[in-house]
Amino acid sequence: MDSASAPFDSALIPKGVKRCQFKWFLLWIAILHGPLTIGVIATLMCWGLALNVTYLNNNYPFGLWIAADLGIIALGAGAFFTGFLRYIVKIDELKHIVNFAVIVGVVCYAAAQGILGVDIGQPLRGWFIFWHANVHSMLTEVAFCITCYFMVLCVEYLPLILENRQIYKFGFPRGFAHHLHEAMPTIAAIGVFLSFFHQGSLGGVPGVLYGRPFAFREGFLVWPWTFFLFILSAIACGPCFTILITRITEGFARKRLVKRNVIDILAKISGRLLALYLVLKTIDTVYWIATAGKVGAPLSSFYANQPYGYWVLITELGIFGVIPCILLLIKATRQNENILILACFLNCAGIFMNRWIMTVQALAVPVMPFDKFVSYHPNWVEYASTLLFVWAGAIVISLSYRYLPIFSQEKELNPI
Amino acid sequence: MKEAHHGEGDEKTYKFGMVIDLDKCTGCGACMVACMAENNISFRKDETDKLRSNFWMRVYKISNGLPFPDTEVSYIPRPCMHCEGYDHHHATPCVSVCPATVTDYNHETGIVSQIYTRCFGCRYCMAACPYHVRVFNWWDPRWPKGMEKYLNPDVSVRMRGVVEKCSFCFHRYQRAKNKAYAEGRRELREDEYQTACTQACPAGAITFGDLNDPHHKVYKLKKDPNAFRLLEKLGTNPKVYYVSTTDWVRKASDAYTGKQGEGVTPG
Amino acid sequence: MKLDRRTFIELSVGFSVGAGTGILLSPVNWKLMDDMTIWSQELWPRYQLGGLKGQLPQRGEVTHVDSVCTLCPGGCGITVRKVGDRATKIEGRAGYPVNDGGICILGAAGLQLLYGPWRVPGPLRRAGQRGAGQWEQVSWEEAIAEAVKKLAALRGEGNAHTVACMLGSDRGTVPQLFARFMKAFGSPNLMRTATAEDTYELTLGLMQGVTSSVGYDLERANFILSFGSGLIEGWGSPVRVIKAHSIWRSANVKERATVVQIEPRLSNTAAKADRWYPINPGTEGALALGLAHVIIKESLYDDNFIRNHTFGFENGTDATGKGYMGFKRLVLTKYTPEAVSRMTGLSSSKIINLARAFARAKYPLAVWGRGKGTMPGSVYECMAVHALNALVGNINRPGGVWARPKVATQGWPEVSQDATAWTGYGMPRLDGAGTKRYPLTGHRPERLFQMASEKPGAVEALLVHEADPYYTTLDSQAVARAFENIPFVVSFSSYMDETAHHADLILPNHHYLERWEDCPTPVGLQKPLLGLLRPVVAPQFDTKHAGDTLMTIARALGGTIANAFPWEDYEGLLKETLADQWDTLEETGYVEQAGYTPPAWEQAFGTPSGKFEFYVSAFDQVGMTMRKDVGYLPHYEPVKPEGDAALYPLVLIPTDLMRLADGPVGNPPFCTKTLEETELKGNDLFVEVNPETAADHGLSEGQYATLETPKDTAKVLVHLFEGIMPGVIGIPKGLGHTGYDDYLAGKGVNANSLLGVVEDPISGLCATWGIRAKLTRV
Ligand SMILES: Nc1nc2c(c(=O)[nH]1)N[C@H]1C(S)=C(S)[C@@H](COP(=O)(O)OP(=O)(O)OC[C@H]3O[C@@H](n4cnc5c(=O)[nH]c(N)nc54)[C@H](O)[C@@H]3O)O[C@H]1N2
Ligand SMILES: Nc1nc2c(c(=O)[nH]1)N[C@H]1C(S)=C(S)[C@@H](COP(=O)(O)OP(=O)(O)OC[C@H]3O[C@@H](n4cnc5c(=O)[nH]c(N)nc54)[C@H](O)[C@@H]3O)O[C@H]1N2
Ligand code: SF4
Ligand code: SF4
Ligand code: SF4
Ligand code: SF4
Ligand code: SF4
Ligand SMILES: [Mo]
Repeated sequence: MDSASAPFDSALIPKGVKRCQFKWFLLWIAILHGPLTIGVIATLMCWGLALNVTYLNNNYPFGLWIAADLGIIALGAGAFFTGFLRYIVKIDELKHIVNFAVIVGVVCYAAAQGILGVDIGQPLRGWFIFWHANVHSMLTEVAFCITCYFMVLCVEYLPLILENRQIYKFGFPRGFAHHLHEAMPTIAAIGVFLSFFHQGSLGGVPGVLYGRPFAFREGFLVWPWTFFLFILSAIACGPCFTILITRITEGFARKRLVKRNVIDILAKISGRLLALYLVLKTIDTVYWIATAGKVGAPLSSFYANQPYGYWVLITELGIFGVIPCILLLIKATRQNENILILACFLNCAGIFMNRWIMTVQALAVPVMPFDKFVSYHPNWVEYASTLLFVWAGAIVISLSYRYLPIFSQEKELNPI
Repeated sequence: MKEAHHGEGDEKTYKFGMVIDLDKCTGCGACMVACMAENNISFRKDETDKLRSNFWMRVYKISNGLPFPDTEVSYIPRPCMHCEGYDHHHATPCVSVCPATVTDYNHETGIVSQIYTRCFGCRYCMAACPYHVRVFNWWDPRWPKGMEKYLNPDVSVRMRGVVEKCSFCFHRYQRAKNKAYAEGRRELREDEYQTACTQACPAGAITFGDLNDPHHKVYKLKKDPNAFRLLEKLGTNPKVYYVSTTDWVRKASDAYTGKQGEGVTPG
Repeated sequence: MKLDRRTFIELSVGFSVGAGTGILLSPVNWKLMDDMTIWSQELWPRYQLGGLKGQLPQRGEVTHVDSVCTLCPGGCGITVRKVGDRATKIEGRAGYPVNDGGICILGAAGLQLLYGPWRVPGPLRRAGQRGAGQWEQVSWEEAIAEAVKKLAALRGEGNAHTVACMLGSDRGTVPQLFARFMKAFGSPNLMRTATAEDTYELTLGLMQGVTSSVGYDLERANFILSFGSGLIEGWGSPVRVIKAHSIWRSANVKERATVVQIEPRLSNTAAKADRWYPINPGTEGALALGLAHVIIKESLYDDNFIRNHTFGFENGTDATGKGYMGFKRLVLTKYTPEAVSRMTGLSSSKIINLARAFARAKYPLAVWGRGKGTMPGSVYECMAVHALNALVGNINRPGGVWARPKVATQGWPEVSQDATAWTGYGMPRLDGAGTKRYPLTGHRPERLFQMASEKPGAVEALLVHEADPYYTTLDSQAVARAFENIPFVVSFSSYMDETAHHADLILPNHHYLERWEDCPTPVGLQKPLLGLLRPVVAPQFDTKHAGDTLMTIARALGGTIANAFPWEDYEGLLKETLADQWDTLEETGYVEQAGYTPPAWEQAFGTPSGKFEFYVSAFDQVGMTMRKDVGYLPHYEPVKPEGDAALYPLVLIPTDLMRLADGPVGNPPFCTKTLEETELKGNDLFVEVNPETAADHGLSEGQYATLETPKDTAKVLVHLFEGIMPGVIGIPKGLGHTGYDDYLAGKGVNANSLLGVVEDPISGLCATWGIRAKLTRV
């Protein structure tokens, strides 16, 4: 690498890896700021003009934001679950992807909290959830665990930042990063514990709504079955999301960053967990049909109004469930690069769909016999403010990729 | 409302509730307006989007769905049901879910309250309530100049971004209780505490009182063989009862029948 | 220090880390959070209420003031809760003879009318074009001087009779003051809006020979047969009728009354009725006679009453020896169930069964007056329904129709007229009421506007009090043309209604919660009652009691006009007029004749025969000699809706909604808020169409359509409603305002503009019940 072609910011770039010219990087970041700005405008509209700028209404107090929130958190499960596999189950190969999983996790959890900050009607009072906490509310559990877990993620992310070439030169950050690395198994364990609860509580959010037979589930102790199903579905899909984002990053970098065997481990585990999830979800569905029927809500009533026909059930469990599950379980398909991506995509889409169903469709189904069904679709403000976090996430990942030593196999796979 | 401060434990407890006679209810809407006037409910120039309109009392129009001339319609006034909750364990749907303890089941009165200044607008309670009782303030309330003069100082004015709902005119309870205490009484008479909608209803269709007190009218009325509650099977355990001698209206209380046009429909 | 790449990078990294940590750990965050919460909880809401200064809503001493609501002719007693000097809530007055604690939707929203932006702030003089909404605020002296100048000039030119006056009512001291003014000034053209009550009064005059208003003993009736009356839409005194409805719906099944509603549309009244019989619109009279047929044929009538207290039931010969046909013969020959079934569309078996049930009931009562009773309707139809009541002998009986004497005159000194007044007052009325053609009618308000639009100069000035003819009169375009021909319009309105909006001068009256006034017996009440309005709050704007304004004008006009008003002020006049009742009124707010019963049959009838007359001989007395016998009898004479059936295949009927005020008082925002989403969407009004009819016209729910009648065209939304007869379109009355404020103005379509005036041959009053119409997709 001759110094003339070295990027302007080469001093910050990890040693031994190649990055594009600074101007191209700047251009890319600038491009991301386009939609980001629209998202910021949408957010400011929500805060400045109140939530009437959305398509939410009294029948749909929850809309895209909440569905996206639950979906994003589930996708972010890759972070704690990879940590769990790496530090607690001690699957050593995963050390090559765990850093990236953490970054994706940080992005997801920050996005979830950010979206909630837009969604609530009085953001200035958002902290009342901690101050006046109601221990009976699933949302309280969610808030506490997510906030704590986000701090854990930050602590996991911190050593990566400290490992930046320029920071690492200093003794204190270097020592600090080292100690953090030492403590990582403990931190990961805390993260796993917290994540278990908030993923579950998110499932509890709809599951406890006994006024909404579509969402309500009986359960175990204080937790409805959705509590456990949400945990399982999150860990079945989180790794796939990590794979997906890794592949996208590889696509932009135009090189391999992680060895296939590492990816394959995640894909295999994902497939098995998805299989388990589908079995339990099927049992849950059958049981739910029986219990909802008892309170006067036959299955047909849930699927009587378009766009929420039976196709929803089939798509969620079949196309976005069984198909990716099979593709991930069979070695041949799993190891085919394109099919793997398809499977990961279907799996992630399934999670989003499930979270939408459990929040938005749960509210769409009329409960009072004389209720009128009304349809909801988000407007641009909701889309823009949600996607804002995608663009922000892309910026964080781009910066991290450029300046931090994330992919330990990059040098080996791409010798200069 | 200023609350008289007195010792705890010696409280007389009530279970306030309503019985609404649907045979008498004419759908006139006086209860809705009385509620809006009593409780400082805001209004906008265009209120035709009912999905974003602020009603604590909403009168639903329902129809038997039959063609002309066999069509019949009925009205169902719907305040907050002040649900006691599942299995009488007092897990009121909206109360148990609120993360910030904004809403509460008061065991002295059986009233489900709402502290507007504490609500941060997550709307989880709205998702929990199957009766569409709770409404969100999508806009800042604004009164045309001069109109703020009629506002009732006993009820706080709510800001945008918070959820609100029928309080059984709780401030009237406080007012009545203060008066009773001042007169050295510990128990309210039936007529001392009546909600604004009950009082206004020209048809006398709404009866309000202590469901536990055999001397109160509601005690007897709720036992009418034609009395029912909305969505009883869900176990929300509402404290608002309805009476109707019309079969299809009684049947409309439970079991969502699916697609519009099958059986009961919105009128 | 040289700022090279490296130092730059080091500095920025160091600064970011430092600043981040600093902000995170400092207490500033927490303080800011706290402050912002206070802002959102305390200051922001206060700002919403119009400023950060005071604590709002302000507390204060709580008091209650009793008064009477006059937002409709219901005359309910109200109790207003006040905090300090603010009125904060209107409630029904417990124990008041009309409404005993109940209140209607409009009455409950009265404070919005009091404090709303639609109030006229003070005397206004038109500054721009008529109706452009440009006003100049003037002093009371100036405003009154202007009115006086114009009126004096007209009088000086010998045109006193071209001054017309339009009132909302003729009862009570204020309308009487206007009448007195017109008489002293010299114009016969005192008008008031006409309603179904006028037609019933006329019917009582014809059939019973009395000058009375109709009272219904609803509370004691146990079989109520309503010919399209919107008993719970706001008919009569609305709260009182709804209360009666609840008595009919008593929890004790044995005590329950039967309610039958005859109407082409499933109104709320029809919905609450035990039976709803939709019939072809406009055929109510035929049905009444068909029922009479069955009752007579099967001898189910009250034999004693018919035999001893009626005239013209059987065929007979009159004093001149001329033979005439009796009611019995007419009904038995012409109104067989089969014939009536063809006219009404109701099966003969239903007609027969209904007649039997009605006649066999202990307290049957047939009520008349479509919808809220705001349209006068057909005299023969009213007579037919009244005859039905007579057949079952429920005239002046418990649970029946009572002739309630109209309130006695005020006992004021006679007006002495000068020559101008005498000449002007003696001129023929512009509306032809009381003339040979319409000897029985007092006011034909629609005709006044027809005359004004046809003959420029016929009306040179118009005074309007407690009425909004510009909005409420049918055929709005004709009224607008009439206004163009009236050079000087004075409104006394408290609100910026349509008439005020098109006036030249507004002399705003105090609002009903700001003034003293008497409120005589509400519409339809069976017992005489006098209520008292008292100021609940001080006048909110620069307004003046209409009585005082009028007397000031009179005094300025001088001479005999001034002499006709010897009182100091209106309050003094009121006290003097109500002299012996004043103390009771001031203390209790009302004077009631609780023990009132109407005269027994022996004394009840002032007809030439001294009996209840099926065969109305009074027609001859007033010079309305009929060509055929049937003209003297209640019979069915269809009121043809305007329009050619080929061009306009459908029939449009106005509908009354209880949540929509359709009189001179505009709907307050609270009430408009309660309209269903199938009634108003944004600014667009829904019309009701049967799904079958809609399918024929290729229309579906929520679609835009053009509604066309011979009078006007409007863009509407279609609501499919199974409860309306195929071929009929229902349009709610009360929207399409242009006055008031944009909380009301611009919403929907004014049904009155689509309708025209069809005159009743007997009364000359508006007998319109609908109009032919066409509905096309847009
Ligand atoms: N105009 C005016 N404004 C004032 C004052 C004044 O004198 N005049 N006083 C000021 C003072 S000193 C105060 S303390 C504040 C009071 O101000 P707020 O706290 O706003 O007072 P309230 O309206 O009495 O109560 C708020 C709500 O709490 C509900 N509530 C009552 N009991 C319960 C319960 O047990 N649980 C729950 N969840 N809700 C309950 C009530 O229904 C009511 O809607 O007002 C201040 N503002
Ligand atoms: N019935 C009823 N009782 C209540 C309550 C309720 O809602 N209803 N609320 C309770 C609550 S939350 C509160 S905070 C208390 C409030 O109870 P209080 O403290 O009694 O409140 P106020 O009636 O607002 O004010 C008391 C007096 O202070 C006077 N004042 C104002 N400014 C000054 C000043 O600068 N100096 C002096 N010396 N006097 C001044 C006022 O004119 C008024 O007469 O009431 C409690 N009691
Ligand atoms: S006020 Fe009474 S009659 Fe009118 S809608 Fe309400 S409950 Fe029904
Ligand atoms: S009706 Fe709804 S808001 Fe009222 S207590 Fe029940 S769940 Fe809560
Ligand atoms: S919206 Fe307010 S009351 Fe409802 S759950 Fe959230 S914080 Fe509680
Ligand atoms: S009880 Fe009070 S708050 Fe509830 S609906 Fe009736 S008037 Fe409104
Ligand atoms: S019925 Fe008429 S008089 Fe009575 S409260 Fe309503 S508007 Fe006022
Ligand atoms: Mo206080």
